[in-house]
Amino acid sequence: MKARTTTVGGGGSSWLRIETVLVVMLVVLLVVFGRYGRNFWTAENFFEVIRLTVEIGLIAMVMTPVVLSGGIDLSVGSLLGLCGVVFGKLWRDVGMTPLAAAAGAIGVGALGGCLNGLLITRLRLPPLIVTLGSYSLFRGLAEAMTGGVDNFTGFPRDFLFLGQGYWFGFLPAQVPIFLGVSMGVWVLVHRTTMGRALRVIGYGREGAIYAGLPVDRHFLVLYTLAGLVVGCSSMIYVAHVGQAKADAGTGYELLAVTAVVLGGTSIFGGRGSVQGTFLGLMVLAVLKNGMTLSDLPSELVGIVTGLLLLTVLTGEVLMKRIGKVGREGEG
Amino acid sequence: MRGFRREWGLAVVLGLFLAYLAVRAPGFFQGRQLLALATATAPVLVAAVGVSLVIICRQIDISAGSQFALCSVVLGMAAQRGVGAVGPVGVAVGVGALTGAVYGGLVAGVGLPSIVVTLATMVTWREALRWWREGEFVRDLPERFQWFGLEQTSGQWMVVILGLVVLVTGWVYATYFSGGRFIYAVGSDPEAARLAGIRPRRVTFWVFVAMGGMVGLAAFLNAVRFTDVDPKTGTGLEMQAIAAAVVGGVAVAGGRGNLLWVFVGVILLASIGPALVFLKLPPQWERAIQGGIILLAVASDRLVRGRAGVRERRER
Repeated sequence: MKARTTTVGGGGSSWLRIETVLVVMLVVLLVVFGRYGRNFWTAENFFEVIRLTVEIGLIAMVMTPVVLSGGIDLSVGSLLGLCGVVFGKLWRDVGMTPLAAAAGAIGVGALGGCLNGLLITRLRLPPLIVTLGSYSLFRGLAEAMTGGVDNFTGFPRDFLFLGQGYWFGFLPAQVPIFLGVSMGVWVLVHRTTMGRALRVIGYGREGAIYAGLPVDRHFLVLYTLAGLVVGCSSMIYVAHVGQAKADAGTGYELLAVTAVVLGGTSIFGGRGSVQGTFLGLMVLAVLKNGMTLSDLPSELVGIVTGLLLLTVLTGEVLMKRIGKVGREGEG
Repeated sequence: MRGFRREWGLAVVLGLFLAYLAVRAPGFFQGRQLLALATATAPVLVAAVGVSLVIICRQIDISAGSQFALCSVVLGMAAQRGVGAVGPVGVAVGVGALTGAVYGGLVAGVGLPSIVVTLATMVTWREALRWWREGEFVRDLPERFQWFGLEQTSGQWMVVILGLVVLVTGWVYATYFSGGRFIYAVGSDPEAARLAGIRPRRVTFWVFVAMGGMVGLAAFLNAVRFTDVDPKTGTGLEMQAIAAAVVGGVAVAGGRGNLLWVFVGVILLASIGPALVFLKLPPQWERAIQGGIILLAVASDRLVRGRAGVRERRER
């Protein structure tokens, strides 16, 4: 049902790559909102946009290699909620220091991701199904631990700094973390053998197996890593909002996948880039922020995001058809 | 048929679960409570039938909840205007089928992956509703709308019966009619189906239209239970429907699944919440238990079938 046309590793040879489209779109958005938005074009707002993007951004970054390998992780939003609740429990009820509690919560994140990875590799189950199950499981555990109503607040100042503070008076505290993780994921995807292997697996799993790639080991590491990053994202979320609740991160999995797909990564795997995801993320963030500052109703953001996703993909498919590319199978 | 053992396992699990309930919490089996549970579950069943067909056809719909809300609101508005007793059904099914046709066009016509299409529309419908209604309920539905203008008990029976009719019709069509077998053929291998003279794109398109219609009907069966329509209704329905399909043994790789077992999956997942209440266990465990059941169901599937030599159809 799909046309596999590009070569492994390449992102299409024409100048009309998705990255170009996204950069143009971003520039247009910046100009338009600079004209109509109040205080859009200010340094404070610039950092605010980035600050609000970090939680989703971290998840989208680590979702990129997952989608690239032909998988998907629907459990990230639920896991974010669970990690937050675990953090709150460890800190308030067990009496750990925030640092130890955060380490514990991030550990739970990695454990959750590892569970996904084990089910996917040991039992050869499709990631969509496994993470659909853990989507319910993680959220359910978070609800069960809090009785559905309990929430945790009143965290110490130096923990809240992680989500609300500024370095040197202007740089939001979470931005260096985001940049660090992004660089890490970029190196993983584009500069390591594991990244290359994931791409090959996404392009054709059978072939990867026959080529002797350790598919299972890569998957296990990948999903564990995803859980780990979700744990970090959860800590930033809790510090940013100032409370930990069971329903934190609802719908994040879809926003993250949207950013990844908008950034040109094929949902079937094998093709995509981390910088694409970054651009997709920026388009979504600027759109949301600019529309708010232009006094447009917030619901429009969702509508436009959805339509944007469909338009970009349709355009991509049509461009490919026009460009003499043979269609495989039924197309 | 080889490979139906796991589904029997599901039946055994459900049987044991119900037997345990019968001993520990006989209150669960009171007629009124069962009828109320069945009435509340009928819409989920109808939506699950539609979504299962889509999954059997090797596609997926993760927007069923938003579609459901859209149909519910339009249906409520129509009922307010008073288009008779049959009118609202037509409106709901029509709106649903129309959204299904949009999906079908984008998936079968343009060639976009269904998971992306429905990911986008899920957000779009939901936000469009928020923009349009601003969270406001559709109120003042006519008297004769609720429970079809019948008494509550007969109305409840009506909802349950309609739900079962959809299930049986869908099952008979999918099992005994050529059009239904085409769905399995396309889901199993679109290229082979094409070579056999089936038109995979056409089949895919109509499966989406049928699914949309069923989600619309589900919205109707849900709406008649109340006196007003909440524009936020149906949140999480897509996951309930997919979960029921998966627990009922529908293969996400497409081409395999039996709607009658999906029915068993719906019953099992729907009974957990009320059962927890009757067993005096904390009800907030419902989601965690449901998630555990989904994972156990798919895991047991693979364990029973054995891991060696399983052909990998990794597509979603």
